[in-house]
Amino acid sequence: MIALSAYRQPDMLNEALEILSSGDFAPIAGGTDLIPQLRCGQQRKLLDISRLGLSFIKKDDNFIEIGAACTHSRLSSDDLIKEKLPLLFRATGLVGSWQIRNRGTVGGNIINASPCADSVPALLNYDAELVLLSQKGRRAVKLNEFTLGPYKTQIKPDELLYSIRCKKQSTPSGCSYLKLGRRQAVNISRMTLAATIAKDKNDVITNATIAGGSIFPAPSRMPEIEKMLNRQKVSYELFEDAANLAADLMIKESGVRWSTPYKKPVLIGLVQRALCEASGINAS
Amino acid sequence: MVRNNMTEPTIDIRFYLNGIAFNRNAPASWTLLRFLRDALGYTGTKCGCEVGECGACTVIVDGQPVNACLILTPQIDGANIWTIEGVAAAGANELHPIQKAFLECDAAHCGFCSPGMIMSTIALFLKNSNPDDAQIKQALAGNLCRCTGYIQIIDAVRKAASKITENDLQKFVS
Repeated sequence: MIALSAYRQPDMLNEALEILSSGDFAPIAGGTDLIPQLRCGQQRKLLDISRLGLSFIKKDDNFIEIGAACTHSRLSSDDLIKEKLPLLFRATGLVGSWQIRNRGTVGGNIINASPCADSVPALLNYDAELVLLSQKGRRAVKLNEFTLGPYKTQIKPDELLYSIRCKKQSTPSGCSYLKLGRRQAVNISRMTLAATIAKDKNDVITNATIAGGSIFPAPSRMPEIEKMLNRQKVSYELFEDAANLAADLMIKESGVRWSTPYKKPVLIGLVQRALCEASGINAS
Repeated sequence: MVRNNMTEPTIDIRFYLNGIAFNRNAPASWTLLRFLRDALGYTGTKCGCEVGECGACTVIVDGQPVNACLILTPQIDGANIWTIEGVAAAGANELHPIQKAFLECDAAHCGFCSPGMIMSTIALFLKNSNPDDAQIKQALAGNLCRCTGYIQIIDAVRKAASKITENDLQKFVS
């Protein structure tokens, strides 16, 4: 049974921020994560953000800005997202079921902060920045600093996630998004990997980005691997070394857990496959 | 009609259900699923897992399939909702072609998943009335069936696709 003591549905952003300033309202967008949580929780006050016009996708010269209430269905069918942020296009198309994608939002995916949130590793590759609003003003936080751990973020009770800003890619790159699960659909990710590789005409990597979900306590980039790849010539051996480094990083950050004997070889395989796919070389 | 204690917030909502205009006061903490079943008596939409995994509660909201267990009543204000009760033409003594195909292909065994399966099938046809098997499987991925093994259901959707006309789908988007 869900217990609510208040439900507000404002039309104006100012009003929403005023309601949030009391500090005891939780924003609700799609509700696909929140409603199951409400069923086993305390009485809550909800702020419905569906009428605030937060389902926009905008672009300017340097950024693509995505409203926090954009659904996964919207993002996985949008031409601009497909062309400019292909990892996000792919990730949002793999979230849950069609029914879930029609309701669940990218903002909710970020705020819920599950270690296996599908959109987050994709957004991390694009140096995503979050715009948070409150009555006190606006602040921007880098996504890679925002998630503190499983289901924990640095959002304050009076703040609303307004939008996500992604830098437009300056050079063309290849990319790969891999989602590992127990079945092919309606899947809670066991592990996700998202990578981009830009290379010059001599096959030397000019810019590599790689991020993973369910590898570390929070989805995160792997700068050590990016450093290893940059300015190197694309080769299967290089990617093997990168994959072994990823496994070392996982054990260093997350420790040896019950799942490690499974996750270690799987992570090595996924990193190799993702880097091969992103750089356009044969994985075998 | 709606049992509710005084401290719980309620909200006035207007919506269309199966083409009929409704204007109701609803408890904000109720899901659309509970509201349909317990307040309005529309029990065709089934309550399965209540966490959005089984799809038994699938209804069409503004042309899209959604889990009625994951929507609160204030979120349907202004919406156009279709449930299994509205699928066959009102007053006609005849099933909808999709329902007929489900019967003919033995796609219902216990029948608990059928309303959700049929609503997802309608939503698929609204997007693509000539789907291939992969597209059918993808569209029904959020609907679980524990009896059939899915073969008969996919057969039924394929058969329905071969019979369906624009006329059979029009009302679900208007």
